[in-house]
Amino acid sequence: MPDNPHSFVVPDDQSIPALISLLQDSFTVHVLPETIDERVFYDTFDWRLYKKGSAFEVHDDGRSRKIYWRKDKDGELKIQLGLKRVPHLAADLPACELRQQLQSVISVRELLPRIKVRIKRQSLNVLDKNKKVVVRLNFDVYWHSASRLRAARVLTKRLTIKPVKGYAKDYRRLEAFFLAMQLQPAQNNIMKLALIVSGVCTGEYTTQLKLLLDPEMSTEQALKKILLRLLEIMQQNTSGSMHARDTEFIHDYLVSIRKTRAALKHINDVLPQAVNANYEKFFSTLDELTEPIRNLDVFLQQLENYQADFETSEWQQLQALPEYLLRSRAEMQTKFNESVKSSRYRENIKQWRDYLENSGTESFPPDKASQSVYKLADELLLDFYQQTLQQGNVIASSNKAGGGGLDKLRDTLQKMLYLMGFFHSLYPVGKMRALVQVLTDLQDKLEESSALSININMVKAFIKQGKDEGAVKASMQMINILQQQQQETVKVFKSCYAAYSSSANQKQFKEMFVDYHSLSNTGGKIKL
Amino acid sequence: MKTIAIYNIKGGVGKTATAVNLSFLASLDGANTLLWDLDPQGAASYYCRIKAKIKGGGKKLIEGKSDIEAAIKGTDYENLDLLPADFTYRNMDIFLDDTKKPLKCFKKLLQPFSEEYDYVFLDCPPSISSAAESVFAAADILLVPTIPTTLSLRTYKQIKEFFKQQGIKQTKVLPFFVMVDRRKNMHRLIVKRPPSFMPSVLKTYIPYASQVERMGVHRAPLTVFAARSKAAQCYSSLWDEVRLKLHKL
Repeated sequence: MPDNPHSFVVPDDQSIPALISLLQDSFTVHVLPETIDERVFYDTFDWRLYKKGSAFEVHDDGRSRKIYWRKDKDGELKIQLGLKRVPHLAADLPACELRQQLQSVISVRELLPRIKVRIKRQSLNVLDKNKKVVVRLNFDVYWHSASRLRAARVLTKRLTIKPVKGYAKDYRRLEAFFLAMQLQPAQNNIMKLALIVSGVCTGEYTTQLKLLLDPEMSTEQALKKILLRLLEIMQQNTSGSMHARDTEFIHDYLVSIRKTRAALKHINDVLPQAVNANYEKFFSTLDELTEPIRNLDVFLQQLENYQADFETSEWQQLQALPEYLLRSRAEMQTKFNESVKSSRYRENIKQWRDYLENSGTESFPPDKASQSVYKLADELLLDFYQQTLQQGNVIASSNKAGGGGLDKLRDTLQKMLYLMGFFHSLYPVGKMRALVQVLTDLQDKLEESSALSININMVKAFIKQGKDEGAVKASMQMINILQQQQQETVKVFKSCYAAYSSSANQKQFKEMFVDYHSLSNTGGKIKL
Repeated sequence: MKTIAIYNIKGGVGKTATAVNLSFLASLDGANTLLWDLDPQGAASYYCRIKAKIKGGGKKLIEGKSDIEAAIKGTDYENLDLLPADFTYRNMDIFLDDTKKPLKCFKKLLQPFSEEYDYVFLDCPPSISSAAESVFAAADILLVPTIPTTLSLRTYKQIKEFFKQQGIKQTKVLPFFVMVDRRKNMHRLIVKRPPSFMPSVLKTYIPYASQVERMGVHRAPLTVFAARSKAAQCYSSLWDEVRLKLHKL
C-alpha cells in the first residue's frame, strides 16, 4: 500500500456529485461538509525555489494556516510546525535546519507570494462495517485567478485517495473502483498548472542580456538593442530596489546602470554626442546614488562571518557597527528613493526608452555607426584584452602588488566582461563561455580585494563617529582582520594572473578576437 | 520528531485522556502524529476505536522481531495514527529485560519513524519500572498530570527525585494539574501557589469535568464531541503551552 496519497484527474465532462453517488452505491461513505481552502505558493522574484524543485507553501483552510517546505525535487513537502509566519528572508529565521536549507536556495532574496490557488474541497470518509474510517477521499476543484481583474479559471478537478494505515485491502478496493472508471493519474503539480494558466514564465527574468546580434547588423542597431535590454532589466528592478528588503534588486539595478555606462563610453561615436553626454551624466548620477548602498549591503551580509574572530564581549561591543551601517544605508536609501520617484527621473527614463525604440539613424560619424557590429566587437575586445595584459604585467613584475594598479585592472576586466556579455552571440558559445570563465576567475579575486578596501573605509568612518571606547577597540581589530584578508587576496592574485596571462590563454583570446571573424582585420599581426 | 510521554506513577490521574486529547490536537495542526498506547489496559486504543491487539504479541514487537510499521493503525482522524496496546504489555519489564539495552529500547524502536512523524505521544502505564525508564530515555518532554492533593504532590516529588538520582537531564519534566475541583479549598490553594519543588508546572490546568469521562461513551477526543466545553478548551490551551515548550527545546 502506498504511504502517499494517489491523485486522479476528474475529466471535465464528469461531475463530482455523480462520482460520489456512484461511490455511495458500492461503499459506506460519510460525506463531510464542503470547504474552501487557499494555497499560496511563495517564491523569489526570479523563481529560485521553483527552478530547484523546492517549495514554500501556505495552506489556509479558514480555521488555521499551515506552512509547508520542500527542500528540493526529491524532498517531501513537510509541515513547519514551529513557524508562525512566512519569513521575508532566510536570515529572518533563527539558526535552524530550515534556515540553512532555505538560504542555500534563495540566498539573500525575499520570499514573495507568487501564485494563489483556491480549492473547493469535498472530503469523504469510506467506512468499514464497524463504521471505522478505512480510506479518505478528497474531490478538489482548483481555481486560479491571474489577477484581481481577471476571472478565476478552473485549473483542474482532482480526486485524491488517501490510505489509512492498517487498512490496505480497503484502499486497494477503492483504487480498483476508480481505475475501472479509467480515471487518469494526475501528472502536473498544481503550481505548474497555475503558471501555465497565468502565462508566467519562470525563466523570464535573467540578468544576462541573452541578445542575439546579427554579425552584419550595424553597430548603431546593435547598441540600441543592448541599451534597450539593459533599460528593461533596470526597470524590472526599480520597484524592488526602492522597497529595499531584497538586496539583489539594487545589485541588479546597479549592474544594469554600469553596463549602460560601459556601453555608452566604449561603443562611442555611434549615438549623437549630445545624447551620449546627456545620458552618460544621468546614469553616472544614478551610479553614485546606488553604489554606496550596494557596498553597505555587501558588508552587512559578510559581517556575521567575522563573529568567530571575536570574543563574545568584543563582538557585542561591535554591534554598534552594524547599527551605524544600517543607519547609513537607510539615509542613502531615502535619497535613492527620492531620486527615483522624481518627475525628472521618470521623464529621463521615458525619453531614453523612446529614443532607443523610435529614433532613426542620425549618428555621427556615420561610418562607425553603420559598420558591422562584429568588427567593432573584435576591435574593442582585443583592445581591452591587451589593456588587461599591460596593466597586469606591471603589477605582476612589481614587488608591491597593491594600491591603484589592482583597482584599475579590476575596472578594465569588469568592462571587458560587460562587453563580452553584449557581444557573446557573435562568437562560438562554448569557447566564449570558457574565456568568460578565465576572466571571471581573476576578476573575483580583484573584487574581493576591492570589497575589503571598501569595508575598511566603512569601519574607519565608523571609528570617526565613535564615542564608545570598547566599540572603537573592537573596530580596530576588525580593520586588522580585513587588512590581513586583503594581503592574502593580493598574494593569491599573482598566481591567478599567471594562469590568466598564460600563453595558452593568450592564444585562445587571439583566436577568438582576431582569427574567428577574419584574419584580414589586423593582418594577423597583433602584439600580445 | 518530538516525543511526549504522559506519565505518572499513580493511576487514574487522566494520563490517557491527556494523551488522546493532546495527540488529536497535534494532528489538527497538520502534524503527522503517532500515539503509542503502552498501557496493557488499552484505554487509548479503545478511545480511538481500535482493537488493543498486536499481531504476534508485545514481546516480538519489543524485540524488534515483528514489523512495528505493520502494527500501526490509522485512526478516524487525519494525521493521527495509533500503535495499539496489547494485553501482553503487562509483561513489558520482562520483555525489556530480555533486550540488550532495555533503557534505549523505546528510543530505538521509534528511531525509524523520525522522518514520518512530527510528534509521538506515549501513553504510559502507572508504575516506576524498566518500561518507565525506557520512556524517560525516549521522551523529549515528560508530562506529569498531577491532582492537587498532598499524596499526588508527594508522588511528583518521588519522580523528580528519581530523575535526580538517575542523572536524567535530557528529558524536560513538566507537571500540570488535573481534575481540579474549584469547590475544594486545597485544590484552589495548590493551583494558586504550587509548591516550590514544582517550578516548571504548566499554567494550564484541567478542571474536573464529567465531559472528560464521556470520552469513553463517544470513544473520541473531547474536541470532536464537546469542542466548546471548558475541559476541551483547557486541553487546547495545554497543547498550546506544550507546543511552545517543544519548539523551544
